[in-house]
Amino acid sequence: MALEMTNSIPVALMTHIDGYVYPNEQHLLWSVLIVVYPYVTGLVAGAFIMASLVRVFNVRELEPVYRLSLLTSFAFLLVAPLPLLFHLGHPERSLQVMITPHLSSPMAMFGFVYTWYIMAVLLLELWFDYRKDFVEWSKTETGIKGVIYRLFTVGVNDLSERSLRLDARLAKGITIIGIPSAFLLHGYVGFIFGSIKANPWWGNVLMPIIFIFSAIVSGIALCVFVYMTMCWIRRVAADDHCLDAMGKFLFYALVVDFAIEVLDWVHRLYEAEESVHVLKQLASGKLFYTLLVVQVCLGTLVPFLLLGATQLFQKAIAMAVRRRIYFTSALLIMVGVLAMRWNVVIGGQLFSKSLRGFTTYKMELGGQEGWLVSLLLMLLPFVILWVCVKLFLPARPALAENAAAASAVVSRV
Amino acid sequence: MRTHFTRRNALHGLMGALGGVFTLSAARAAKAAVQKVFVSTQAPKGYDPTQHKWLMALDIEQCIGCGLCVEACKTENHVPKGSSYFRTWIERYIIKRPRPGSSEARGETLVDSPNGGMDGFPPALVPREEILKSFFVPKLCNLCAHSPCVQACPVGATFDTPDGVVLVDPNYCIGCGFCIQACPYGCRFMNPETKTAEKCTLCYHRITRGLKPACVEVCPTEARIFGDLKNPVADDPIQKFIEKNKLQSLKPHLGTEPRVMYAGMDKEVR
Amino acid sequence: MPYRKMPPQVLRLVLLTVGVVVCYLLAKGILTPQSFDEYGHYRGSALQEVASQTPVYAGQQACAECHAKALEVVAKFEHKTVSCESCHGVNQPHIENPDVKTTRLTDSHCVRCHERNPARPGWLKQVASKEHYHGQRCAECHTPHQPNEI
Repeated sequence: MALEMTNSIPVALMTHIDGYVYPNEQHLLWSVLIVVYPYVTGLVAGAFIMASLVRVFNVRELEPVYRLSLLTSFAFLLVAPLPLLFHLGHPERSLQVMITPHLSSPMAMFGFVYTWYIMAVLLLELWFDYRKDFVEWSKTETGIKGVIYRLFTVGVNDLSERSLRLDARLAKGITIIGIPSAFLLHGYVGFIFGSIKANPWWGNVLMPIIFIFSAIVSGIALCVFVYMTMCWIRRVAADDHCLDAMGKFLFYALVVDFAIEVLDWVHRLYEAEESVHVLKQLASGKLFYTLLVVQVCLGTLVPFLLLGATQLFQKAIAMAVRRRIYFTSALLIMVGVLAMRWNVVIGGQLFSKSLRGFTTYKMELGGQEGWLVSLLLMLLPFVILWVCVKLFLPARPALAENAAAASAVVSRV
Repeated sequence: MRTHFTRRNALHGLMGALGGVFTLSAARAAKAAVQKVFVSTQAPKGYDPTQHKWLMALDIEQCIGCGLCVEACKTENHVPKGSSYFRTWIERYIIKRPRPGSSEARGETLVDSPNGGMDGFPPALVPREEILKSFFVPKLCNLCAHSPCVQACPVGATFDTPDGVVLVDPNYCIGCGFCIQACPYGCRFMNPETKTAEKCTLCYHRITRGLKPACVEVCPTEARIFGDLKNPVADDPIQKFIEKNKLQSLKPHLGTEPRVMYAGMDKEVR
Repeated sequence: MPYRKMPPQVLRLVLLTVGVVVCYLLAKGILTPQSFDEYGHYRGSALQEVASQTPVYAGQQACAECHAKALEVVAKFEHKTVSCESCHGVNQPHIENPDVKTTRLTDSHCVRCHERNPARPGWLKQVASKEHYHGQRCAECHTPHQPNEI
C-alpha cells in the first residue's frame, strides 16, 4: 500500500499486482483522460467524414444533418485539447510542442495538425457554408447575436451569384482536403500507440487504421444521436430518408471496423508471438467486461445485428421500429467505441513489459485525472454544441430553408 | 514612401548598422563561451562531452542481491521514496525444477523485486529442493544507441548526450509520459514531485567530475562495471570484461541497440 | 488568364493566413531557448544543469587521504572489492568535519550480503545467520577488514 500525493489530494492507492511487473510499472501513467482524448478526436473526425459525404459524394439524403454534423465536429474539436492539458505534468510548457517540435515524435504533430484542422478545414468549411447566412443575419439580428454575426462575416458582404458559386467551389475543395486531414487528426493518435514497439498491445501496423475506422463509426453514431435528440427537443419529425441513409453508412462503417479488428485478433493468435500468452490473459481476464462484453458484444455485435436487420429487411420493419433501432445502435456504438479506447489505453498499461504480470488501475473520483473531470470533459462538447445550435441552427423555418439552400448550392457544383 | 537622403539619415543608418554588428558579435562570443566550457559555478569546468563515451556493464555471476546499489542511487539522486520510483533495481529470478513426469527441461520461472531489492531479498517462498537455478539481475537504463525514448519525446526534453548517456532536461519536460511508455525496459518513471520524467543519468554529475556512479561505488562484488570507452585506463575494467565474457543485451529484437551488456544472462531474463 | 480582382473572401483569408504564419514564426524565434540545437534537438545548457548537481557519496579516493593504512589492509583480503562507503555509509559529512562519525556498524551490515540465499552465487561465503551463531555479534569472531582471520 502506498500513500501518494496526487495534486495535493492525498490518495491511498492499493495496487494489486499479479505476477511480476517492473517496479516503475506498478502505477498507471496514462489515465482515463488519455482515453477521453482519442474518443473526442475520433468523434470530431467521424462527424466530419459524415458531413463530407454530403459535399463530396453528393449524398442528398444527408443534407438535413449536414450543418449539424459540422457543428458537432466543431464543438468536440474545441474540447479536444483539454484532456491533454489536464494530464500534462507541466501544462504551462505545452507551447513547447509547437516552438521546438521534435519531428521524430508523433506527439509533436498535435499542435500543427490541430491548428491546421481547426483553422484551415473546419472553420473555413463552416464559414463558406454559412457566409450567406452570416451576412443576412448580421443585418437583421441585434444585440450580442448581431455583433457575433457581423464579426463572422469578416467584413465580406458580397452576396452576388458569382461570389456564392465561388463559396461552394471553395467549400468543396476544402472538404476534399478535409477528409485526409480528418484522417490525419485521428490517425496520428492511432500512430502514437502504433509506434510504441515496446508495448505489444499497442505497437502494430493496424493500430492507426483501427482507430480511424472506429472513429468514423463513432462519429456517425454521434450524428444520429444528436440529430434525433435535437428533433425530439424541438418536437420536429426527423427526416426518415436521412435516418435511413445514416443507418446505412453506420452499418457499412461498422462492418469494415469490425472486420479490421477481427483481422488484428486473428493475426495475433495465428502468429502467436512471445506476447500472445500475456495478451490472451489480459483480454479474457482484466479486460473481460470492457472488451468482450461491452466493446465486442454490446458495442459491435448487437448493433451489427440490429442494423443488419434494417438493411436486409428494410421494407418489413416499420419506420418507428427502425428509428428505435438507429437510436439504440448509435448509443451502443458510442459506448462500445469508448470501451475500445479504454481497452487500448488502459489495457496496454495493465500488463507488464516483462510479460510476466499484471497491475490494476485505481481510478479516483475527484482529482485532476478522476471520474468527475472525465465526465465533465465529455459533457462539455454538448454544452458547446447547444450554444452553437442556438446561434447557428435556428428552429424550423430556417432549417427547411437551409436544407433547400444547401441542396440548391450542392446541385450547382 | 519617399526618404530624403540627408546626412542625418545616413548617420542614423550607419550607427544602426554598427550597433547591429556589435550586438551580433557580442551575442556570438557569449554563445561560444557557453558552448566550450561549463559556465555554471558548480558544474565541473573544462569537461568536454565529446571526448568521452561512458558505458556500464553487468556481471550477473557476481551480483549477490544485497541492494546496496539501489539504496545508494536513491540517496545520491534524491529519488522519491515510494516503491514505484526506481532509477535502478534488482530482480531475482527463481527457475524451478520441472515437475516430475513432465518432459520439460525446466520448470516455471518466478521473478520478484521487493521494493526494487533495496532492502535485500527475503527468503524465497519456494523450497530449496525445487529450485533449479536462481540469480539476481540488476536493471537500469540500457543507454540505447537508438533510443526509442529520445525518438518519442515531442519537445526535445530527453536526449542522447555526445558522451553516451541519455538524459532528461527537467526544466523542459512537459510531463506527457510518452518516453516512459516508449521505453521497453521499464527504466523510466514520472517523478511525482517535479512532475517530469526521470531515469538513471549514469550519475552524470559524478562521472563528469571523475567519480564513479553511486551504484558502482558501493557495489561490493564488482557486479557493475563502469568505464570510458574513449579513455581506457590501465587494467580498464570494461576492457577486461569485454575480453573475458560472452555478452548479451536485453530485448535486442526491438532494434533499440542497447549498449549495456550482461555477462551470464539466462534466456528467461526480459 | 486575364487579370481579375481577387474575390474579397479569398483576399481576407489569404491575409489572415499570412498573419497567422508570421505570428507563429515570430513566436518561434522569440521563445526558442538560446542553447537549443547546440549539440542536438535539446537545450545545450541542460548538460551543464544536470552535471552541476552536488554529489552525495564521496568516493573511495576521498577516504584514502587519511585512512591509507586501513585501505592497504583491506586490499589484501576478500573485501578488497568492497568500497568504504558500502558499509560505512555516506562519508561526505565526515570528510568536511572529521569529528562527525560515520555510520555505526551493526550485524545487519554483514548479514545483508552474507545471509544464505539460493539466488546468491556459490563463490560467496554465506551463512544461515540463525544457525551460525547464538546471540553473539559477528564482530566477536570476525574482523571486517580482514575477513579471513578469525
